[in-house]
Amino acid sequence: MAEAKAQNKLVAWIDHRLPVFAYMKHELYEYPTPRNLSYWWNFGSLAGITLVIMILTGIILAMQYTPNTAMAFDSVERIMRDVRWGWLIRYIHMNGASFFFIVTYIHVFRGLYFGSYKYPRELLWMLGVVILLLMMATAFMGYVLPWGQMSFWGATVITNLFGAIPGIGNTIVTWLWGGFAVGNPTLNRFFSLHYLLPFIIVGVVMLHLLALHQHGSNNPLGIDRKGPQDSIPFHPYYTIKDTFGLSVYLLIFAAIVFYWPNLLGDPQNYIPANPLQTPPEIVPEWYLLPFYAILRSIPSKLIGVCAMFGSILTLFLLPWLDTSPVRSSFFRPVYKWVFWLLVIDVVLLGYVGAHRPEGFYIVLGRVCTLYYFVHFYVLFPLIGKFERPLPLPTSIAASVLAREGGGHAPQPAGVAERH
Amino acid sequence: MTDTVAPGPHGAHEHDGESRRDFLTLAATAVTAVGAACAVWPLVTSMEPSEDVLAAGAPIDVDISKLEPGQQMIVLWRSRPVFIAHRTADELKTLQDPKETADLRDPDSNVMQQPDYAKNWHRSVKPEYLVVVGICTHLGCIPEFQPQPGSEGADWRGGYFCPCHGSRYDLAARVFQGVPAPYNLPVPPHHFVSDTMIRVGENPPNSTFDLNDVEQI
Amino acid sequence: MKIAAAFAVMLALALPAVAQEEAMPPLPHPGWSFDGVFGTYDRAALQRGFQIYSEVCSACHSMNLLHYGDLAALGYTDDEIKAIAAQKQVNDLDDQGNVVQRPARPADAFVAPYPNDKAARAAHNGALPPDLSLITKAREGGPDYVYGILTGFESAPANFKMQDGMSYNMHFPGHQIAMPQPLADNSVTFADGTQATLPQEAHDVVTFLQWAAEPKMEERKTTGAKVMLFLLVMTGLLYGAKRKIWADLHQHA
Repeated sequence: MAEAKAQNKLVAWIDHRLPVFAYMKHELYEYPTPRNLSYWWNFGSLAGITLVIMILTGIILAMQYTPNTAMAFDSVERIMRDVRWGWLIRYIHMNGASFFFIVTYIHVFRGLYFGSYKYPRELLWMLGVVILLLMMATAFMGYVLPWGQMSFWGATVITNLFGAIPGIGNTIVTWLWGGFAVGNPTLNRFFSLHYLLPFIIVGVVMLHLLALHQHGSNNPLGIDRKGPQDSIPFHPYYTIKDTFGLSVYLLIFAAIVFYWPNLLGDPQNYIPANPLQTPPEIVPEWYLLPFYAILRSIPSKLIGVCAMFGSILTLFLLPWLDTSPVRSSFFRPVYKWVFWLLVIDVVLLGYVGAHRPEGFYIVLGRVCTLYYFVHFYVLFPLIGKFERPLPLPTSIAASVLAREGGGHAPQPAGVAERH
Repeated sequence: MTDTVAPGPHGAHEHDGESRRDFLTLAATAVTAVGAACAVWPLVTSMEPSEDVLAAGAPIDVDISKLEPGQQMIVLWRSRPVFIAHRTADELKTLQDPKETADLRDPDSNVMQQPDYAKNWHRSVKPEYLVVVGICTHLGCIPEFQPQPGSEGADWRGGYFCPCHGSRYDLAARVFQGVPAPYNLPVPPHHFVSDTMIRVGENPPNSTFDLNDVEQI
Repeated sequence: MKIAAAFAVMLALALPAVAQEEAMPPLPHPGWSFDGVFGTYDRAALQRGFQIYSEVCSACHSMNLLHYGDLAALGYTDDEIKAIAAQKQVNDLDDQGNVVQRPARPADAFVAPYPNDKAARAAHNGALPPDLSLITKAREGGPDYVYGILTGFESAPANFKMQDGMSYNMHFPGHQIAMPQPLADNSVTFADGTQATLPQEAHDVVTFLQWAAEPKMEERKTTGAKVMLFLLVMTGLLYGAKRKIWADLHQHA
């Protein structure tokens, strides 16, 4: 008891000067959260934890890795063979990148389905798109570091894209490379930036969470909270639910890391980079395939690049492209089916991106690229205008009641005292 | 809101439910904490010397056939300098002189800075050849070999002089009193594979001495 | 349901595409001791495979990522490893700074047959015998592919135009491989007396090559079993705790 008092005194001393404990208590403990969040709301915290895992494993790997073209490949193999637990740390980092994108993509599609990008969360959504862009840049540069065949040739293809910029394109590409082709200067600077960007991501994530806490989470019904009966404190309800979700996630992650660690990778990257031999297929990692497909579906180099970046930049405009008065697709009888068309479209784009641009794949790629832009620039605004949404429930609590069969909406102990 | 808590049907069993929940929550939290610690462990342990580093620390064979009496050679073992000094008969006589040992901090090598087979008046396997790790036990500089009497002052009878902070050792690498260094220079595992070959880094049979067990490398 | 389907498709597409223009015969699946979640390396096969590598393959193929000391994992003693290493010579400097040769030590990397890639190409009409340290991980199909190559040499079909110096192989993309058939029945005499048929030799050397590519596989799988078990228990406990904590929010009928 005396220790608890001393503990509280220490906490009070710090809090009076820098209110970290009060802040944490408010944001993670008491923080009122909609009571009806489904498991689709776990993916944000999963992404955050994956970011931490990537940073921790990445820092340890950086202690053993050498960013020089003559030594990079061998230094990674040394980690796999000679460093204690090196194989585990490398496989976690390698597969963690894939899993980071899996959870982030699900998190994004959740936002699309439930209208989480709509007022008042527009900035929250746009910060999320910034995080996605930073993730893609980080992952791209990270894949170059092992200096395998795909590392080198993927870097060559993607950096060459910037040559499409009229006039200054070639100057920019030479500046990016630090030489006449992808080489040692390129590898060194990619290593430096790959180490830097995750910490920028951490900063943007903090802004993302700040924006989130301004108005609180959206919920599956898409309606605003009307009173305290619609909310429950974040702790213990969502702390335990997030931890449980994390455990399930780790089970799947561990299965891949320990039993199929190279399932999501390309065997070509176990061949040291050879600038004089192009591999039969140059393919980025799976999470970049849909964008790769959009790039290749347009016969003009410059417009292809614009389409690829445009496909991501389109996401920034969503809050204004969508004209629906209603957030959640639960109450949008037309859009709830059109949403799945987008999902299928993106998956098909990924499929196209994995194959050589020949014959059938060219046609499919172009159709899917066209649909992608039609979906956001034509269907989004039109469906919102002409669709008749289903009647919304009066409140979250009322909806929870209807689901659970009458009577009072039960309150967790202690909610009565809060306001 | 002033609504009351709903009197759930589990009101009567609330105490049971609560203590079961507490145990379950406690167990879940404890297991998660153990899991987190186990997850961090490989990250920490990966910083230990890796297998290739350990392999590079294997014993080395040193050819001493060309080492003249009064000379010293330096070899690298486990990234550390190892002095191999060929002592003259006069130098060995000086080592046994009781006047010599009066100024030493640890003349009998009581502090564990050497294997058992080097705990003698010459601190080595064979009296003629001294094998020591050439790192000053003060702050890690490499001492100079100064075997000539008088070369470091009138009283100097030959030994090692560390230029960084003035520590002095005799020709058995035993530290003098009144200098900053606290211990004698450590003796690494070594033995003679032949009369002209010393294997540094390996004990003679029947010894399990490990250099990491000394007081101060 | 739709979500699961979308996921399955996405995961399946993650596997890199291999453009096979002409129909290739399916790869053989001889079955390996290291297959599956409980797979291990058969030590006897590893030693036989190492013997094949030493006696046949190492004439042209380097194994730069292995060190002689790594062979301890195959069950050889320290003295046996020292003897194996000492059979090869490596460069060193004498006291005058001249390059001299000395016997290899356990800490040395496997000695390569050629000093550099150019010398290797010069000895093989411009073709470079690839380093074998990662070969089973660097090829689509993995160990089955390498086994298929080693057992897939045959005479070219009647209407197939072969280039000079190439050999016909069933499984090599394009069917023309610069390597002449390296193994046949009784190419080696196994130290442990096992009969050296071509399938046996191919099986053993591929087992050795898979070990060379991933020496930590056994540790990976055993650690995986412990981790999965732990996570299953932890998930169960957390699920129970979650249900309990959320119980007071749900009214029971």
